[in-house]
Parts: sequence; C-alpha cells; structure tokens
Amino acid sequence: MPNIEKKSFDALVVGGGIAGVESAINIANNGLKVLLVEKDLTIGGKMIMLSKVFPTLDCSACITTPKISEVDRHPNVTIMTNTEVLHIDKQDKHYFKAQIKEKARYVDVSNCTGCQLCEDACPVVVPDQYQYGMVGRKAAYIPFNIASPRVASIDIENCSLCGACEKACPTQCIDFTQEDKEYEIVVKSVVIATGFNLFDPLKIPRYSYGSAKNVITSMEMERHLAPTRPYNHVLRPGDGKMPDNIAYVLCTGSRDMTVGNPICSQICCMYSIKQAQLLMGALPMADVTIYYINIRSFGKGFEEFYEQAKGMGINFVKGKIGQIDELENGDLKVRYEDINQGKLVESKHDLVVLSVGAMANEDPKTMFKADTWKQDEFAFAQQKDLFYTPSLSSIDGVFLAGTTSGPMDIPDTILSSGAASMEAIRYIKQAKVEI
Amino acid sequence: MKQKIGVYICHCGGNISDYVDVDKVKDVLAKEDGVYVSKTTIFACADSNQKEMVADIKANELDAVVVASCSPKLHQITFQAVTERAGLNKYNYVHANIREQVSWPHSDNKIGATEKAIQIVRSSVAKVRLSQAIEPIEIDTQQAVLVLGAGIAGMKAAISLAKMGTQVYLAEREHFIGGRIAHWDVLCGTEETGKELVTRLYTDVIANKNITLYTGAEMVSSGGSKGNFNVQLKLKPRYVADVCDDKENIKKAIEVCPVEVPDEFNFGITKRKAIYHNFPSEYPQAAVINMDDCTRCGECEKVCDKIDLSQKEETVEVKVGSVLVATGFDSYTPGEGEFGYQAIDNVITLSQYKRLLAISNGELKWNGKKIENVAYIYCVGSRQVEGENKYCSRYCCTATINTALRSNDKFKNLNHFHFTRGMRTYGKQEVFYHEASKQGHVFFQSYGDDPTKVENKNGKTIVKINDILTNRKELEVEADLVVLVTGMVPRAHNTIGDILKIPKGRDKFYNEIHMKLRPVETVIDGVTIAGACQGPKNIVESINSALSASIKSYSFVSSDKLSVEPIVAKIDENLCQYCDACTTACPFDAISKVKSGSKDVALINHTVCKGCGMCLPVCPTNAIQLITFSDDEVENMINVLANEL
Amino acid sequence: MNSKLNARILVFSTDKISDPAIDMAGLLKLHYPPKVYTIPLPCSSAVKTKWILHAFEQGFDGVFIAADGSDCPYGESCTEKTGDIVKRTHDIMKEKNIDPMRLKMAAICSVCSESFVKQVKSFDEALIKNKNAE
Repeated sequence: MPNIEKKSFDALVVGGGIAGVESAINIANNGLKVLLVEKDLTIGGKMIMLSKVFPTLDCSACITTPKISEVDRHPNVTIMTNTEVLHIDKQDKHYFKAQIKEKARYVDVSNCTGCQLCEDACPVVVPDQYQYGMVGRKAAYIPFNIASPRVASIDIENCSLCGACEKACPTQCIDFTQEDKEYEIVVKSVVIATGFNLFDPLKIPRYSYGSAKNVITSMEMERHLAPTRPYNHVLRPGDGKMPDNIAYVLCTGSRDMTVGNPICSQICCMYSIKQAQLLMGALPMADVTIYYINIRSFGKGFEEFYEQAKGMGINFVKGKIGQIDELENGDLKVRYEDINQGKLVESKHDLVVLSVGAMANEDPKTMFKADTWKQDEFAFAQQKDLFYTPSLSSIDGVFLAGTTSGPMDIPDTILSSGAASMEAIRYIKQAKVEI
Repeated sequence: MKQKIGVYICHCGGNISDYVDVDKVKDVLAKEDGVYVSKTTIFACADSNQKEMVADIKANELDAVVVASCSPKLHQITFQAVTERAGLNKYNYVHANIREQVSWPHSDNKIGATEKAIQIVRSSVAKVRLSQAIEPIEIDTQQAVLVLGAGIAGMKAAISLAKMGTQVYLAEREHFIGGRIAHWDVLCGTEETGKELVTRLYTDVIANKNITLYTGAEMVSSGGSKGNFNVQLKLKPRYVADVCDDKENIKKAIEVCPVEVPDEFNFGITKRKAIYHNFPSEYPQAAVINMDDCTRCGECEKVCDKIDLSQKEETVEVKVGSVLVATGFDSYTPGEGEFGYQAIDNVITLSQYKRLLAISNGELKWNGKKIENVAYIYCVGSRQVEGENKYCSRYCCTATINTALRSNDKFKNLNHFHFTRGMRTYGKQEVFYHEASKQGHVFFQSYGDDPTKVENKNGKTIVKINDILTNRKELEVEADLVVLVTGMVPRAHNTIGDILKIPKGRDKFYNEIHMKLRPVETVIDGVTIAGACQGPKNIVESINSALSASIKSYSFVSSDKLSVEPIVAKIDENLCQYCDACTTACPFDAISKVKSGSKDVALINHTVCKGCGMCLPVCPTNAIQLITFSDDEVENMINVLANEL
Repeated sequence: MNSKLNARILVFSTDKISDPAIDMAGLLKLHYPPKVYTIPLPCSSAVKTKWILHAFEQGFDGVFIAADGSDCPYGESCTEKTGDIVKRTHDIMKEKNIDPMRLKMAAICSVCSESFVKQVKSFDEALIKNKNAE
C-alpha cells in the first residue's frame, strides 16, 4: 500500500498514461505535490504498449520508460495504481475534495520483488488482456515486463484460491485479506488525463471482426510488432501462418455516421503507415495494402514518412470497404469501391487489420457533479475557452491533458500536457490559503 | 584508474540485438581490463532495469559504469542519473552509442555491426577507466525571459511566464502585435474573431507589470548562454509621439500624406499611406510612419504636432536567463505563373481572399466584377512533387473550409469548388468538411503528379483537373475567382535563428531536440521554441506549444542559481608560456592573463567557459586539457578503436 | 560483404551538430562502411593535431572531421579554426611522409545525414584506392 500520510496535495492528476505522467512531472518539477491516480495496475497507458512510434520509428518503450522512471522516483509525486477516482467535488476556488478507491491487489506492493514465482506457481490460465488475448496469463501475474510498478497482482475474479502463490512467494507478500480502501483527498487543482478508448469494431458487423479469425485490430497488430511481443513474430491468429498479404482498413469507426462518429481520429493514417513499414521489415516478402479515404499525414515529418512508405512498395488504394468475408482457408475476401477505377472490386488478403479510431473516454463524467462537467458533441471533454486556454475544462481549476479533449498524436499530447500543467501551476500558485 | 567497471548492453527490444550479437559483446567485454560486471538487458532504460542497475552497482561496489544502447542524446542523462542514484558521480559514466551508429546503419552487415559494437564499447571502457568525479559549477542566473515575437504564441507564453512572477521582455519586430491572427475574421470552431482573440491577449500583456513590450524591435546580437544571455534589441522609431491622444490630427496627417503603397495588412489588395494605422483596433493604438515609403514632404507635420521625424533608432540591452522564440511563419508566395498567380488577374491567395471577404460589403466583387464561382486550389507550396516543400502545412484544409463556409454567412449565391489533394480536416475539424459537402460545395481531388491547371481562355479563367473522385475524368470549372491555398513556410527573414544558432530540420523550420521527449527545447541550452516557427500549427496547437515552451523557459529562470556542466578547459601552469593564442581563440572571453609566481600564465574563468575546446589545439605547448576530453582519454579511445582484439 | 575490405576511418563529430546527423543516418537506415568510428567532441575546432597524428600512428587509414561549419553554436569562427587545424596538420603530415589526403574535413549540418554517408563512402573508397596504390 502506498503510504498516504499526507492527504492533501497541490494537484490531482487523473490518468497515468503519457499525458498524465508528463503533466505530473511538469507540476512536480515546480516544487508542487502531485497525486497521480491510475485505474490500471500499471502506469504507461496505451503508449507503453506500442511497438514503435511515427515518424521517427523510435521504439515506444524507449520514449515512455524514461518518463515513467522519472515520475516514479520523483520526490514530489505520489502514484496510486489500481485506484479509481469516485468523486471530485469543487468546494471553492483552489479547493477540491476527491474520493478515491484503491482496489485490493492482494499483494503487499512494498515487499513484492517482481520475482514471478507466484506466476509460475499459479495453476489458473486466462487470456492476457495486455496482449489482447493473444496469449494467456496466470491469475497471479505481473501485467508485463516493463510495467510500473513491476509487481504482482491477484486477479481475484479468476483466482481459485488454491494458495499456491502464497506458498511460492519468498517474501510472503501475498495477502488475501486485503480490502478495497477509500481515501479522501484535498487538492488545489485537477488535471484530467484519462485518454481515449479504441473503437469497438464489433459495431461494424460487415467487417466480420470477432467471427473471422484473421481480422484483427491495429492495437492487436501493435502487440505483434512490439519488442515485447508475445510470439516474437507476426503470425495470423487463425492458424499461426505467417501472413504474406496484409490489408489495412482505415477509418474503422471514424468519419462514419453509421456508427455515430463523424470525426477523424487523427492518428490512424500514421500508425497504419508505420505498422506497414514495420511489417515490410518483419516480413520482407509480404504485400501490404492500405485502403483509405484520405491519407492525413499532416504533422512534422509525416508527409515525408508517407512518401517513404510509398517508396518502400506499400500499396495505397483509395477505396471504401463494403464487406469482409472469411473464406474456408481463413483468408479474407474484401469487397470495396475502388475510387480510382470507379467500380466495385474484390480482393483477397490473408490478414486484415482494422485501423480503429479514437473514441471519447467518458469516465470523468461520473467523477464530477452533474452539469458541471461538460462534453462536446462527440463526448470528449468540453474546452471552455478553445483558443485562449485550450486546456481549461468546463470547471475552473480543472485542466485537460492529452486525448481527453479530442483525438491527438503523441507529440500533440505532450504539448497539450505541457499546457495543462502550466495552467494548473499558475492556478495553484494563485491559491492564497494553504489547505 | 577505475577497476570495478560495470558494462550493460541493451537489446533495445531487437533494435540492437536483431543486428548485433549482444551476447558476444557482453562476453568480450567481460574480459576487458577493469570490467567487473558485463551484462545484457532487454530495455536498459526501463524502470525495472534501472532499479536493478542501481542495486547491481551498489551490491558489486562498482566504481564506474558504461551503458551501450541508443544515442546519448536520448538516454545519457537517464543513465547518469542511475549512476548518481547508486552513489557514484555522474561523470563516472560513459555512454556507448550502438544503435544509431551501429545496429541501424549497419543492419546490412551483422558481423561488421557486432565487431563495431565491441570496439565502441571497449573504447567507452577505456574512457571511463580514466574518469574522475566532478562537481557541477553553479552560476548566477538572470531571472528574466526574452520572448521573441508577439503573435498569439509569444503573447500567451509571455503572459503565463509573467503570471509565474518572471520578468518578461516581449519583443515584436513589427510595429503592431498580433502576428498572423490579427488579420482574421471568425476563427474555426468558435464565434470569436482573430481580432478579438488578439485583443484579449494584448489586454493581458499590457495589464501585467512583469511584461515589458517592445514593438519595432529587432534582435541584432546575443551573447552569453543559458542563465545569462545578453541580447541587443534595435528599436525602430514610429516617428509619431508615443502617447498620442490627438486622434483627429493623426487622421488628418494620414489624409494629407501623398504616398500610396500596397497595404501589407490586406496583403496588397488595398492601399495605405506612408503614415498609417494597421486597422481600426490595432495594438498598440498608434500610427506609424514607414520611412522606406515616406518622401519627407513634410505635409503630415503641418497638420499634426505629434509627428516627430527626428526620432532616432535606439538599442536596448536585455539580460535574460532564457530566450523563447515564437517568430511564426511566412505564407508561401506562389511563383509567377504558378497556378496563374500574377499572370491571371483573378488568381489570389487565401490570405488575400480572407481580407477581401472581411472588407467587402453588399456584393463580393473582384476588380469590379461580381463573384459567383470561387475555385480553391489546395496545397500550393506544400506537398510539392517538384519543389522543396515536401511537408503538409496542416492548417490550410480547415482554414479554407472555414473561410468558404463563413463567406456564405455574408454573401449569398457563392458557389464553391475545392480542388484538393485529399482533404486533411483532421480530428474534429472533419465536421466542417462534412458541413461544406452538405451545403453543396463541390470537391475534386487531383493526382500528386498531375496537378490542377489554371488557364485563361478567351478572357475566362478556367480551372482544369483530372479528378480522382470521378474516375480520372477531366473536368473544367469557369471561376470568377481562383483562391490559392498557400501553405506555411519558414520565415525568410531569419536573423534570429542565425544569431542564436538554432538548428533547422529537413523542412527548414526550427528543430526541437526530440519530438516527443523534448519537443520545445533546442540543442542551444536555454533557447526554447514555440508555435509555427517549429513547423505548421493551428491556433490551439500553437498555444499549447507556447505554454509548454514557457514551462521549460521557466525552469531556467525559476531560481537565481543554475548549475551548469563542469566540462571546462584547464590550464597546466607548468607548461603554459603565456602567448595569448588561447585568449584570442576563446569566443567567450573566458581566458585572461595572470601572474603565477614569476611568470605570466593563462587563467580560465570556469563560470564563463562553455567547454567548446577551441583553445585546445592553438596552444603551442599543449598546456590545455578539456575535462572529459583529455589527451589520455581521447588517445586511449583511439588506441582501442584502431586495434581490434 | 567482407568488412575487412573497408578502410578504418576515425570521425571527430560534434555533440550538437554533426553527431545528430550521423545518428539520423542510422535512423534513416542509410548504410555506410562499418569501420567508421566516431568520437564526439563539443566542437570541431577542439581537435588537436596530436590526436590526429596519434590515430595514424595507431593504424587508422583516415581521419574525417565532421565539422560544425557555420552552424557551430560556439561562434562564427569555428569553420576558420577547424580549417586552420586541418591546414597545420596537413603540413606536419607532409613532413612525416603521411599522405595529406588521409585527413579530410567537411561541414556536416545537423540534418546532413545523406551528405555524411556520401562523404564517408567516397573517403573510404579513396583510402582503399590509395592503399592499394602504395
């Protein structure tokens, strides 16, 4: 258990992805005390799970981990993982009360060395959510190798209570008597960095996600390509065959009124081009086709990256996908409208990757009193003063970092987090009274 | 000599280990003189590994450390910190770059890459063996920031720094603040105009006592570095008294001025006088005389006693701890004949069109002719196939859509034809594209290598395209006005970048150290960048980057002391026969002549020395050594690199 | 490819300007001969003649100074100063009967990755040709 002697902080940062981490470091570097709350077992968010990042092809872990270790050992930052924010109530200017719940992990974090002996001992195997179910994990487990904190946790819902882990643990840190704990926190300012959700492709049945085994999402492909990848190779899930003809379906769930999301997700074109480039490296013989409506390579170095991909032989087809059907051998028949040819065409691929969009995470709505937290028409956080203070939410003193306010890529997320933290620091410094 | 050296070789999750046999490197290094521990790790930079390294260094009582991984620009600081947490001095750490300079460039040659990696790590061990503990040097810091450019990014940065209690000098080259945004009408996604946004920012700037605003101010030189910059600003006179409440007579003065030149504020579609206001609610609200245009006829002086042609150029010096550069962008100027620009009289740029919409009332006319069909040609000066500007200018698709939509609020019966290269209304901006389609705007898309053409046919302006969206059909539109959607290019007038030595990227905009890790810092310590001087950005993105830059600039000035790297030059007084070669070579005036016993010797001021090493090779007696680059260290590295095992 | 066929080249790069360009060559997967070793220094006008001669004594075929040129963060005089070093060293090399072509200098800006690769490749070829002619 983190020892929360001090229950008041200068800032509460909700969300331990790259936006929350960056914000927490910025605020803490100015001598202010920060509580960083993450609902997952580890901080790092989606970024830590990625393979490489566009357009530099740096490995994502290489960029995330220094920030994570910096925040982790920062004397001004207290991190609570596996913790939910229940309510944040604004009492007055520079004065918020927050109710948070630390869920039982059934492991004494301060004594766990991350030796993984409990994992070895545990007899229960369930799909590993961090690897999108591609492999299994135990009920006693460490999320992944570069998790932070890198400590075990017991998945109590799946645990058979056999006690094997308790016996195996060399530091006796497994504790089934642990209970959820609630805390009341007082802070002067709040930064919301709860990120985004990936679009659920089950909402588009004609793409056959879920029924056709070799239709996967782009996040699943990230895991295939990541240095910490489960199979150490790119294999299609249906039969373990190495794919040699891969298709990308851009705008899955974005710019699509039929699923109620008219906006562009801003990141999918680029991450798909990046994955395609990585696939050309991992599978030199493979053909990669990207089906797109418009390629939006608008950021610094992005257009050059797109041109580079074309030069590498990645096939870009301007076309709208109508239907994806599974064939007997597990291959996929893709029917699409080829805009260049102006007609309906069919093609075959042995793996289809759906480039799923970024949707609003509506978690903050439940944290604040009704009507104070406002959303825009796409359910992202409302930016009260878009141009003057883009990070200001509908509540004074509550600032928005990263994709809370809309889709954006990592460089924009870092800049938005810088802005949110600068505003939060200024707001905190205006507080006259110590709380 | 260090005798218990730890060597850690990173796989970088395959980035290194796919091409370099890291186990072999580890085994060879284990046998190297002084190496006590040699290990590999999947991710050296991962927090868990960092913790293990700290424990390892402590448990084995290591006295020096080498990590072989990516470029030192990414992680040298990370591992210096690891070394410090383990109780060692950070200068007992040496970083070996075996990714950017081994595994990646030699991915075609695994044997060669492995051999090279071994040599590089061995040479790093040779260097760290001689390493010594050094303490940082503390310098006094100027607790002030110079912000260059008073557009929205510069003003926002200045305001946020000033609110933190920092003294801010805000210098704008033009006589009026507001940069590019001051020109614009209603901004995309709100009901606020550019003018209103600029007014809000200016009001805050003026109200804040910590901000000193200079207009007509150009940076002419800069000395010093992080913590202590001395910057010279040249102030151009307005030739109109500073406090001028004589509005009526100024008006008369403008009336009587006989000179007419194109008005830059309206991008040349209207005329102004040599004495002029920018626009009705300009800031500062004071007229100015442009002496390049003025004929010195003296007519204005006769009607207004606030005119003061005797005003002289002044120079002010500001002392600051950090410089925040927010100098913005230039709009691309199409070449003569590019899409008919300057060749056909109804071809104008998007900026000109926006001003035309703002100043027109009743009917929209160009050269006296009523406008109905407007053709927009996208990506002019961006995504060039032939030209140098390969990049996308990011803001223009949305800006054009917004302009086209808003133009219908004011003028009915306009038909819009968009000749695109594929719309890039990213994110929420997509809804405006959707709205335009719904309102009947017509969209075409051209092939990259087959651009849209603008032709004059019998006095009619025809826009032709091979359209992707209609199966390569050749389509023609007769346009009353052709609007060239010009992108952003780096400032042509770029003395600031030259003076401060800010590196540029492939797109010629200023370059950050690292897009994700250090996006607003430059390799010049203490100099940060914000807004579109770094690359195309829209308003929100500029403001975010301005605030991010201000938080970094603040970190240089928040305390009155700053610690700097103790990598400085040292004089061996026994060898020195003071000849003044080093004093002359030093670009920072850090070396002076002093008496030592009976002879003259050179003395290096360590708080001024930047450790560039320019004095080293000029010394005839080899009396100067640069810390961490001593003869012994460099020559030992050479010995290893020259001789494989 | 047999890496033994390549000349051994020592590059003096600079922390802020040319070394980032060499890093970027790696990032862009531009290939060059592997026996090119860099020692990064703060500035190219810090290279001592003594070090260059030492490199030749120790068996380097060539020394390449990847100079800051006009981008040098320490001042305008860098190009001239680095040029002087090369000139002085060339004179000593002639005295010592070392072919002056074995020391080369070129300004490499912070994004001049392609130029760097071109330079070291042609230097490598020239050195091998020179060696074979001996």
